[in-house]
Amino acid sequence: MRKLLFLLLAALPVMAFGQGFQVNLHGQKQIGMGHTGTGLLQDGASVLFNPGAMAMLPQNYIQAGISPLLFKSAFNPSGTSTQFNNSNQVATPFTAYAVWGPKDSFWKLGLGVYTPFGGLTNWGNNWTGKYSLESLNLKAIYFQPTISIRLADFVSIGGGFVYNRGSVDLTRAIPVANATGQDGQAELKGTGKGYGWNAGVFFKTESNITIGFDYRSKVNTTINNGNAMFSVAPSVQPNFPQPNTFTASIPLPSTTSIGLGFYPSKNWTLAFDANLIHWSVYKVLAFDYAKNTPALQDTYSPRNYQDAVSLRAGAQYLASSKLALRFGGGYASTAVLDGYVTPEAPDANRYYLTGGLGYKVSNHLDLDLSFEFEHLMSRTQTNIESQLSGTFKTDVYIPGVSLAYHW
Amino acid sequence: MKNFKLYSYIFLSAGLLGLTACRTNIDNPKPSAGSVNFSRYIAVGNSLTAGYADGGLYRSGQLNSYPSIIAKQLQKVGGGTFTQPLFTEAQANGSGYLKLMGFNPDGTPITAPVTTNLAITGILPVPGFGNVTLYAKYAGDNNNYGVPGIKLLNITYAPYGNLNGYFERLLPGAAPTNSTTYLDYITAKPFTFFTDWLGNNDALGYATSGGSGDVLTDKATFAQLYTLSISKLTAAGQKGAVATVPDVTSIPYFNTVTVGAVLAAVQKAAPAVQALYINALVSGNTYAPRIATANDLLVLTFPTSKMGVPNDNGYPYGLDPRNPIETQYVLDVNEIALTKDYVNSYNTTIKSIAGANNLAVFDAFTFLNNVKANGLIVDGINLNSNYISGGIFSLDGVHLTPRGYAIVANEYIKAINSKYGCSVPLADVSSYPGVKFP
Repeated sequence: MRKLLFLLLAALPVMAFGQGFQVNLHGQKQIGMGHTGTGLLQDGASVLFNPGAMAMLPQNYIQAGISPLLFKSAFNPSGTSTQFNNSNQVATPFTAYAVWGPKDSFWKLGLGVYTPFGGLTNWGNNWTGKYSLESLNLKAIYFQPTISIRLADFVSIGGGFVYNRGSVDLTRAIPVANATGQDGQAELKGTGKGYGWNAGVFFKTESNITIGFDYRSKVNTTINNGNAMFSVAPSVQPNFPQPNTFTASIPLPSTTSIGLGFYPSKNWTLAFDANLIHWSVYKVLAFDYAKNTPALQDTYSPRNYQDAVSLRAGAQYLASSKLALRFGGGYASTAVLDGYVTPEAPDANRYYLTGGLGYKVSNHLDLDLSFEFEHLMSRTQTNIESQLSGTFKTDVYIPGVSLAYHW
Repeated sequence: MKNFKLYSYIFLSAGLLGLTACRTNIDNPKPSAGSVNFSRYIAVGNSLTAGYADGGLYRSGQLNSYPSIIAKQLQKVGGGTFTQPLFTEAQANGSGYLKLMGFNPDGTPITAPVTTNLAITGILPVPGFGNVTLYAKYAGDNNNYGVPGIKLLNITYAPYGNLNGYFERLLPGAAPTNSTTYLDYITAKPFTFFTDWLGNNDALGYATSGGSGDVLTDKATFAQLYTLSISKLTAAGQKGAVATVPDVTSIPYFNTVTVGAVLAAVQKAAPAVQALYINALVSGNTYAPRIATANDLLVLTFPTSKMGVPNDNGYPYGLDPRNPIETQYVLDVNEIALTKDYVNSYNTTIKSIAGANNLAVFDAFTFLNNVKANGLIVDGINLNSNYISGGIFSLDGVHLTPRGYAIVANEYIKAINSKYGCSVPLADVSSYPGVKFP
């Protein structure tokens, strides 16, 4: 009768969102120019960058693009000479926009489908942080029907409704060894939805400067009845009842942007954007399991994010009537305070450099290529919750291509 | 236009292929031995050093001993090969050990001894001492001198090689003809670095037998033998690390079967029962029955089936002062105080001698007390001092799991790094398992 308090402190899967989860790949022309576009009239991507600018677009657009993304992280556990790298996986953020209005009309309708948040990483099941995360595949797809109205020659406004369809698939090891010494495994998989809006205003000034303001709202995304799968040694499996479901709610933060466009000569466009991402809404992450046991409790993890800022600049040079060259870059501050960095998105202050090529295939068809290199500063951290201690460093490589048909 | 499309396709796919070849690298400082010579490391100690776990010494425990984990890390800074007196694959279960078979409906564990593929070769009756279990001899090179059961008190005792089968198997001669002392044995071959974790059994033997089956090693004798052993180990100017003796009450062996839990179980069947009675130390060697309190610790191996069984006079076991729980199952308050006093004295000795000889100190006493009080989170694993669920202690409630030994290895390495200004890399605790569940 060895009275035994059998409490397996199951370090349960928790998800983290970081600046790392904001995906800013919203149009090849804009990527090429350092992700600027709030204050420009480039193409259908205005649906996202600034719905207010849509009504000023000289043409109608149907376009789609894809930006295959390689997120390459390294982790060096503190006090060791070991380095772990996540595996090579290509995430596929995409965009699709349509903007239409009668010729020379004061209004335009638009639809955008884009992926403003997401993450794809796989650290494998043999690394020091396996009890925090093995792999993550997170996607948020926003659908945004939009309307824009030109109030006067110099100002237009616009707004859209956002529906988010999110999905998550996260795996993590459970520190309970089976008879052969293998860890238990947890997988959380589910889909959810959320709603929000996007509104902006666009000005053309007499001094040949264009200005845009945009506000993309917070989108509270709730995953209901996601699958909570736990596989552990048979003798302790009753502590992790199966099947089980979880509910979790995540606020995808709002973004406030201001953008400026300058046109020093016929061939040159210069653009500046500043964004404030209100990550401070992300205070806690809570998981509510349908079936609880002493070992499987609902979790409540503090995140305490801070608002983050990104500053961007870009330029476009028309080399000929058919060819545009673009380049740009920017800097983004981290949303994650010291002590809260996790391997889901090992966030840190980051800078990025971009370049792009635009080619007019015909009068109605643009083909745009973009490339981005993003570097997250190396950050040495001990996570308060997991005590996972070490240095993260990440480089991101993002080529991209899009086609835009306009008339 | 067709060409352009083709080119962009090539551009994209070639780009992606090329990019997968890039690798993000972190420039970490190169590990360094500093001024320490790790070329031949030896480990001196008892069962903890040998890799004893789950109530036995067996191959897989040996392979996860803390000295072998330390040695693996030392090899990254010029350490030499580290050979252990492993049981053979065919006799991998060594002395036999406890295996977790499952759980009763009330959550209590079911364990069973492993009795196959043992390395036991015989039982030697030693007159005036008792039976000594002998194991298959190990003859090769040896860096791990951990001998389960050895006390500091034993290290200069010449016949000891005939009284401890784990020591006997390392010596060339057969019992009862051995006359090499442990101290002579470990210092026979030159070495450049050592760890020394002796002294636990000088207090633990007394404590785990409930203060009845063994005696605490005299404080002055302990100091004299510790001084002698360190002077021998540092005779050629070797550097090393020593560890203090843990507080015996910090281990699950004394904190799992509690007075409260046993009483509650008894009361389920007999609600009228008010208290448990134990035979407790009064002073000196005088024991007397009294009511047990939460401050008296029952041993993990206490056979609870004995509870309430009447003796010849009809008094129920443990529930009447005339038939109290026997002293070998209880470390009572006075015995705890006595043990603590001795352990404190041993540790004062260890730290002062280590200081005088410029040795690194892993303060296991403080470390394990901290783990007991606060738990320990490493790499996302919540660990504590609880039996089985805590993840650090093996099924015997005294010795450690591979994960526990990896944590100990890292504490040694931290102490070595800070003492000698070297940077031996730490081991990956997450890659060592805790208790294995069926």
